Amino acid sequence: MAKIGVMSFAHMHAYAYAEALKSLPNADFAGVWDDDAARGEAAAKLYGVPFTADMDAFLGGGLDGVIITSENMKHRAMVEKAAAAGAWILCEKPIAPNTEDAAAIVAACKQAKVGLGTAFPCRFIPALTQVKDQLDAGGLGALYAASCTNNGQFPGGWFADEALSGGGATMDHTVHVADVLRWFTGKEFTKVYCENGNLLREGINTDDIGALHLEMDGGLVVSHIASWNRPQSFPTWGDVTMELVGERGVVNVDAFNQKIDVYDDEAGKGAWAYWGGDPNRSLVNDFIAAIHEGREPAATGVDGLRAVEVTEAAYASAKSGAMAEVKRLAI
Amino acid sequence: MNVAIIGCGGMGRMHAQMAANSGFAIKVCADLNQAKAAELARDFGAEATTDCQGVCGRAEVAAVAINTPTPTHLEFIKLAAQHGKHIFCEKPLARTEQECKEAIAAARDAGVKLFTGHVVRYFQEFETIKQQMDAGVVGKPGFAKTFRGGISPAGEGNWFRDFEKSGGVIFDCLIHDFDWIRYAFGDVERVFSQTMRRSEPEVMEYALVTLRMKSGVIAHVIGSWAHPSGFAVKAEVCGSKGMLHFDSNDTSIQTNLRETPGEGPGVIVPGSPVDVSPYQLEWEDFKNWLEGATPRVSPQDALEAVRIAEAALKSAETGAPVTL
Repeated sequence: MAKIGVMSFAHMHAYAYAEALKSLPNADFAGVWDDDAARGEAAAKLYGVPFTADMDAFLGGGLDGVIITSENMKHRAMVEKAAAAGAWILCEKPIAPNTEDAAAIVAACKQAKVGLGTAFPCRFIPALTQVKDQLDAGGLGALYAASCTNNGQFPGGWFADEALSGGGATMDHTVHVADVLRWFTGKEFTKVYCENGNLLREGINTDDIGALHLEMDGGLVVSHIASWNRPQSFPTWGDVTMELVGERGVVNVDAFNQKIDVYDDEAGKGAWAYWGGDPNRSLVNDFIAAIHEGREPAATGVDGLRAVEVTEAAYASAKSGAMAEVKRLAI
Repeated sequence: MNVAIIGCGGMGRMHAQMAANSGFAIKVCADLNQAKAAELARDFGAEATTDCQGVCGRAEVAAVAINTPTPTHLEFIKLAAQHGKHIFCEKPLARTEQECKEAIAAARDAGVKLFTGHVVRYFQEFETIKQQMDAGVVGKPGFAKTFRGGISPAGEGNWFRDFEKSGGVIFDCLIHDFDWIRYAFGDVERVFSQTMRRSEPEVMEYALVTLRMKSGVIAHVIGSWAHPSGFAVKAEVCGSKGMLHFDSNDTSIQTNLRETPGEGPGVIVPGSPVDVSPYQLEWEDFKNWLEGATPRVSPQDALEAVRIAEAALKSAETGAPVTL
């Protein structure tokens, strides 16, 4: 049994990870810490675990690992504390709002000799793992180009407050696909061009649409839409899609397109009932296995850093109006 | 009114039919390929010829429909204009912005109408998206995305696959989307583009283009001549309170035909099973223009679409955005 604590319920994914901790046989959901005591207490009560208001006391409780699901800007301080306390860490994506914080997070865990995972559940979506297998087996031949999306509904709250998130949709919804493409191809990103802006929602100080043009090693060209463009009336939260164009043909993957159309007069609109796998549960399961086996999680802190290098370059491009180089930090 | 069809391939046949439906008489069918000219002429009770230039000067012809490879458009437009013929020209209007200017000047100087077949403006699905948008359904629009493409077309003498002639998927295919996006969202501020273009294992091209409109709207345009089969069109518009989405893969008729043995794939013309074909609507618009009405597509619109396409080609080559 691994004793796992959750640090902050600021990110809605915390609830999915908490559900996983409750249901996984080898996990002991040991407690909650949150800098918002009311939110933390409510979550602790929901899952029947103790809430600890003092971070040091929480981290001194003999935890094997923590899941950090705070606002992006707070990741680094929490990781540094948790690593120093010897806890293994699964950190929500983006691992940090900038490469400076991301590199510091990686360094802190390396120094403390604790494993560090980035919460990239896409690595556990069956549709994507199957495409990865297809690519590895040479089913598509050489990969030449891709066009991708990670669209979502507007998340509101701190996500659209730059002081807490560090950036908007371009930051929130680029890293998953960036990680999947690195994982699929084994290649790194070299350049990015980005057009973005606050074009949909009034009263926020971040972008809510990003259109990215990326290049990877070997000249692979990729476009990606990172957005909060799905309206509240959309049947689900959003999507992860990829069109992969290769030597032998084209693969289209719509990662969450495993749904039943539901029409309920009482709901007032059509909805989708999802019947696919539970990637969040698989992600937490891998984290716990990593602790038991003393290995890094499937998507490491360095994978998280590499994705942040892409978003940082995207924002630099949007600002300069030119293609930006993706600077790969030595680690 | 008598029409000469210049270029008797797939689009030539399409336009001959539409012209006939709109009350024009197909007088002569011209193509360098005698057999193609003869076949189309037979079906429409017209005369066949391989003298494509000559038909532009025929006294009995009042209008020409140009359906030839893009680099030849300007020559036929100039010839037809010189002889006072009205012109229906398949898109793109010409191969460069400069050629478009010459074509427009030739038509203007001769006092003839120069219509360009930007047929997407007449497709009911695209018009419905525009109507919904104009009615405020999405609120303030901020983002649009389109996809257009499928198998790489060949055409007479493989001209579509000759980049210098056709300009590839960006110039020949995405010009539809560039025109429609400009029609729906106004003028373009700047263009960024990437292309994947290969001749091995077969001729293929995949293009990724982002347009930043003067209004701030971001439009992402994807074009494929890299699919192993088929043809599809998708469109999406997102705004402050809603979204519109269309996918031709999810429509009322799905037909998947085997390739004819021994022949390369032709241009696949997408079908909208509607009461009146969009190709018919553009011919009606052309006809009404000849009778004094204002058409939906102006010569300047056709030139602007070419400017956007040229900017996209330049951006793909330089790796830098191109400001219009």
